[in-house]
Amino acid sequence: MKKAFTVILCLVMLFSAVACGSSGKDAHSKDTFVVGICQLVQHEALDAATQGFKDALTAKLGDKVTFIEQNASGDSATCSTICNQFVSEGVDLIMANATPALQAAAAATGDIPILGTSVTDYPTALDISEADWTGHTGINISGTSDLAPLAEQADMFPELLPDVHNIGILYCSAEANSVYQADVVEEALKALGYSVKRFTFADSNDIASVTASACAESDALYVPTDNAVAAYPETVRNVAVPAGIPIICGEENIAAGCGIAALTISYYDLGMATGEMAAEILAGADVSTMDIRKAPVTKKYNAEICAELGVTVPDGYVAIG
Amino acid sequence: MAIRLSSLISALPGCLAQGIVWGIMALGLFITYRVLEFSDLTVDGSFATGGAVTVMMILGGKPVWLAVAAAMLAGILCGLVTGLLHTKLGIAPILAGILTQIGLYSINLHILGNKANQAVSVDKYRLLLSLRHPGTAILVSGLFAAALIGFFYWFFGTEMGSAIRATGCNPNMSKAQGIDINRTIVVALAISNGVVALSGGLMAQYQGFADVSMGRGAIVIGLAAIIIGEVISRAFTRESMNFALRLLFVIVGGIAYYLIMGVALWLRLPTNDLKLFTALIVAAALAIPNLRSRSFGPGKKNGGKGAADHG
Repeated sequence: MKKAFTVILCLVMLFSAVACGSSGKDAHSKDTFVVGICQLVQHEALDAATQGFKDALTAKLGDKVTFIEQNASGDSATCSTICNQFVSEGVDLIMANATPALQAAAAATGDIPILGTSVTDYPTALDISEADWTGHTGINISGTSDLAPLAEQADMFPELLPDVHNIGILYCSAEANSVYQADVVEEALKALGYSVKRFTFADSNDIASVTASACAESDALYVPTDNAVAAYPETVRNVAVPAGIPIICGEENIAAGCGIAALTISYYDLGMATGEMAAEILAGADVSTMDIRKAPVTKKYNAEICAELGVTVPDGYVAIG
Repeated sequence: MAIRLSSLISALPGCLAQGIVWGIMALGLFITYRVLEFSDLTVDGSFATGGAVTVMMILGGKPVWLAVAAAMLAGILCGLVTGLLHTKLGIAPILAGILTQIGLYSINLHILGNKANQAVSVDKYRLLLSLRHPGTAILVSGLFAAALIGFFYWFFGTEMGSAIRATGCNPNMSKAQGIDINRTIVVALAISNGVVALSGGLMAQYQGFADVSMGRGAIVIGLAAIIIGEVISRAFTRESMNFALRLLFVIVGGIAYYLIMGVALWLRLPTNDLKLFTALIVAAALAIPNLRSRSFGPGKKNGGKGAADHG
């Protein structure tokens, strides 16, 4: 048995030596491209982004592009193993889906173009100070950001509800994320000339009563992407709709439950945008000067609640569902 | 695009470097799992702690050697906590480790400045090792591994080290011989987690970031490295093996694990099957000694017990 092991080992070594000798440089001819995709984990949003990327790039380049798709299955350290593999394959471009994948790719190569997606903030992810940030990285990296467009959400109020003056912001005070969103949206609303008041509840038991007082004091409400409301949109709806108060939401699923409209980003579209960048880079564009692109946003409305409240939806909105 | 052997070979240096780094992690685990016979689950947490401390120190402008030393110190503290939970509060070993690991998740978030992830760019800082330069990474991690093997070889010959080994072999007899086994357990856990955190610090530099979940599954990789190393070592040598060689084969096991991973990626298996494939290969490696001894027939008495008896 030991002998067999030794023989196998020798064979492997011999095989390796031969392969080393024969391989040399078999560079791809200019019109075929290999793209490595490193995705952090199996996840609905990330899967959609990868699919969008592949669809967009295939639409542009057809058979000329081959994908090597790898998934780290949630182990961030495996992203390094995968990116190391891509670099040794000599891929023409690496698409890194989620922050640790982008960082691993950045550590793996300073030459091969890298495009990130599903990454929120590139300066933070790549350790570039805000002061030096110019919209592009200056190195072999660019990509698309999934940062939620908060200020643009405020712009939906004049579009959909021309007659309102007092806007209430409703959210759970225990959620740091909601507080942040409320801060940004309040500022944007005030800039548009609205008077804004906040209504916060501490847990799901208070949702109904806080919503009732918010409806009594406001003409319309804004709800950020708040997990507590997301869990009980019916509670909010049962108070707000009878009171005739329209709600604009930070996220599609909340709008589907209790709101009239939301501004949403689709990870599939985000992937598509990344794929279009990839096509430009493979055609010769310089990745280091390409600005990070934002997610294309879609304005969506809840047809049922809009009809119930008599809200007229302008062009450019898509019905939810 | 065809699967080329040359691309597997050019991926080897990266796999080798990552294998050594995780091998160092497995060396730490070896102290508890094999020498002390204590199943310590702290490591999933302390690995990330090492990474987090290293990255934050480097971002804070401290020299890299200091960052790595601080990571080791933080790991030692993690081990102390598990040790004290077990010895002072009488919590069972596995649970003590789990408790520390759970608590470390929050602590690691705090170390990372309440973020889940912090980048440390090889372009901006002088890192000891990086995926960008696999050759240097092999050298640096190899030197760390060699130094640790040397240290352990010396340490487990000292009075304290021997007492730890004795505690692992037979706690009751050790107590009867006047060894304070609570002390030996705490010391071993501290050293073990110090080494694990050191490895986390090296890994964070290698991959260019620290992530709060970077230690997830570390214990599995560590145990796989230890046992694969033992399987390989038995292919080369007979029963009794020098302690330093046993440690060396832990590193070899780590390398083997990442070579397997490299082959799995190179073969372009369906992406969702990576973990299944890795599990199958590791299972096969573990089964080899058992199957091998069976193939020799009933003549070999110690055959069927396989890997489990090789403490």
